[in-house]
Amino acid sequence: MKYMILSYAAQLDYDEMGGRDTGRPAWTPEEMAAMGEFMVAFNQKLAESGELVETRALAAPVLTRRVAPDLAGGLPVVTDGPYAETQEVLAGYWIVDVDGIDRATEIAAMLNDTPAPAHVRAGAYADVRPLMDERAELLES
Amino acid sequence: MTVPLEDLLRELAPQVLGAVVRRYGHFDTAEDAVQEALLAAVRDWPRRGRPDDPRAWLITVAARRLTDLLRADSSRLRREWTVALRRDDADVPDADDSLVLLFLCCHPALSVPAQLSLTLKAVGGLSTAEVARALLVPEATITRRITRAKTAIRDSGATFRLPSRAEWDDRLAVVLRVLYLIFNEGYASTAGPSLQRVELAAEAIRLTRLVHRLLPADSEVLGLLALMLLTHARCAARTAPDGALIPMDAQDRTLWDAAAIDEGIALITAALPAGPTGPYQLQAAIAAVHDEAPSAADTDWPQIEALYGLLLRVDASPVVRLNHAVAAAMARGPAAGLALLDDVPPASHRWYAARAHLLEKAGDPAGARDAYLAAAARTSSVPEQRYLRERAGRLSGE
Repeated sequence: MKYMILSYAAQLDYDEMGGRDTGRPAWTPEEMAAMGEFMVAFNQKLAESGELVETRALAAPVLTRRVAPDLAGGLPVVTDGPYAETQEVLAGYWIVDVDGIDRATEIAAMLNDTPAPAHVRAGAYADVRPLMDERAELLES
Repeated sequence: MTVPLEDLLRELAPQVLGAVVRRYGHFDTAEDAVQEALLAAVRDWPRRGRPDDPRAWLITVAARRLTDLLRADSSRLRREWTVALRRDDADVPDADDSLVLLFLCCHPALSVPAQLSLTLKAVGGLSTAEVARALLVPEATITRRITRAKTAIRDSGATFRLPSRAEWDDRLAVVLRVLYLIFNEGYASTAGPSLQRVELAAEAIRLTRLVHRLLPADSEVLGLLALMLLTHARCAARTAPDGALIPMDAQDRTLWDAAAIDEGIALITAALPAGPTGPYQLQAAIAAVHDEAPSAADTDWPQIEALYGLLLRVDASPVVRLNHAVAAAMARGPAAGLALLDDVPPASHRWYAARAHLLEKAGDPAGARDAYLAAAARTSSVPEQRYLRERAGRLSGE
């Protein structure tokens, strides 16, 4: 059974990690290093257990390019960096192949231990979503 | 008529691995050695012709390769960790090796994905790439999963022999469940990359035939094989062009595979009087009643209701209770089904869908409409959502 675990962040979070002063407590070099080490170890553990299908971190929301159809039939409408600074968007994902949703939840819960400044930890969460998979019922009535 | 090389090697892979592990132990390294021997065969045989005794050739090459690998593995630590899986009783026929191997791959210490991957590779003789394609995960994931599974088996201290009489039933149940899950994985209608994708349902049937050959007296193995054949027989009629699953009563029965149905019926007919009747035989018997009906209207529902009643005694899971209620409704009218359904926990969207159908039949369009919409809100399948909402739409404003 495959699940996607999603984590979220806003442009503001990305900027703080990049050293921008937003008026909130800054990430110290030690905090940055601890977070990086934690992620490497977390991914390594998942890979070694044979549960990891794929994981990626997404670049800052400001680098997003949104593409929409032009209803008048012209070229597609392209918008750069469409999000507000505080809007939480997808920051990274893991696809895991595990026994069931309880194990996927267990894995997602481990992300709660990611080292980060207190104000970041306070708002952190991850979603666990089943991949679409029409599993047939063998027991047809 | 010679067997295609690939089929022959798949057939021989578990026998060769079993023989090597029985003689030399080192399950984890032996598996790598056998893979290399199989590759050598693919390389050499087409050029030089097949050896007179392909099995013996592979065992010799694999054993030689194992010796090399073990010699190269000079790390003392790893040697200390390697618990040789030696057979306690030396003189057991070779045919049993594949069976011992299967029990090992379905070891209770492993997670379900690990059991599936290892069984497909070590017993099914699939390459890591084929297992990865079949289970829709990257090859690296399967490699890690299999490495870890082998370590777990080694650390569990399992020895290379059949389970004892005391644990036989539990261990065989795990093996049958793994085969059932492999079949189900192939039966799921998710369209994976079809390019050279190993047909998992066919592979599960092949492996179950192997187990049946090795345990001809076990009626549950027979039942599982019959269930797979009787279910697989309907696969061509199951999906609409838009990907929607077609329910059995709407399937074009001329598309059903008559040969598979005949074989399945013959197997289950032989199995039922042969021993204790377990859940696989009962499910196969139910599938046989469906497959025997020339049309949905001709289905012998009283018999199906009775069979579900027997199945409930060994498996009272919500899905079995739900199917029992539906069969009762078909046999004795919607009120009988609804009465049973009220006691079943609504564990999935199918409960709401079944309730909707029965309420519609019972002449309660408003209740049916609500139940259809509740079912639509609970399934992740888009075609199914469309179907359920369309049914609800027909009943609106009545």
